[in-house]
Amino acid sequence: MLTITRRPGERIMIGDDVVIEIVEVSGGTVRVGITAPRERLIYREELWERVKQENREAAQASFGSEGPPAAG
Amino acid sequence: MQTTVHSSRFGELEVPEDAVIEFPQGLIGVGGRRFALLTREENSAFKWLQEVDEAELAVPVTDPFAFYSDYEVRISDAEAERIGISDPAAAEVLAIVRAAERLEDFCANLLAPLLISGGVGHQVINEAPEAPIRAPLLVPVAEDAA
Repeated sequence: MLTITRRPGERIMIGDDVVIEIVEVSGGTVRVGITAPRERLIYREELWERVKQENREAAQASFGSEGPPAAG
Repeated sequence: MQTTVHSSRFGELEVPEDAVIEFPQGLIGVGGRRFALLTREENSAFKWLQEVDEAELAVPVTDPFAFYSDYEVRISDAEAERIGISDPAAAEVLAIVRAAERLEDFCANLLAPLLISGGVGHQVINEAPEAPIRAPLLVPVAEDAA
């Protein structure tokens, strides 16, 4: 993993179109500002992980799957 | 125009082209791009969102308002702009269902619903306070309800 030291107000570029800005550092918390094209989805990692896991488990379902359904 | 859907659960199906829903960014963490909404039984509370080109990828879905009449979807302005839906109430809302052995253990994901409008769908993070990722569906127990 690339590690970069930044101060509040300083930024990091990811490619040409994603900007990460360190907004504030206070106690054990860092506030980060992100500017990115709208098709870039941005999530808190733990939330993304929970939803991903829930989606995967939902996709394991097999109830009621015998017999052909109709489109509708 | 008909589109052929290959499903590992349902076999090969023909669905109308206009019944195909584009998910430009797929479902969070599992992908997919074009889905068909399949109804297995006319009166079932559940439908299946089947990926058109990925036979294995399908999730059961339901109308969350049928179970939670006061359910609410709130999204940020940035999210609304991204998906091109300014008012979630104007979109069709589906919740992904987590199936279980017993019907009374079925849950719906109210935290990350699907918003569909104009044949395009997005899975969003719901910012409403009462939106658990596993909300019990509390469906009446019936042998043929699934």
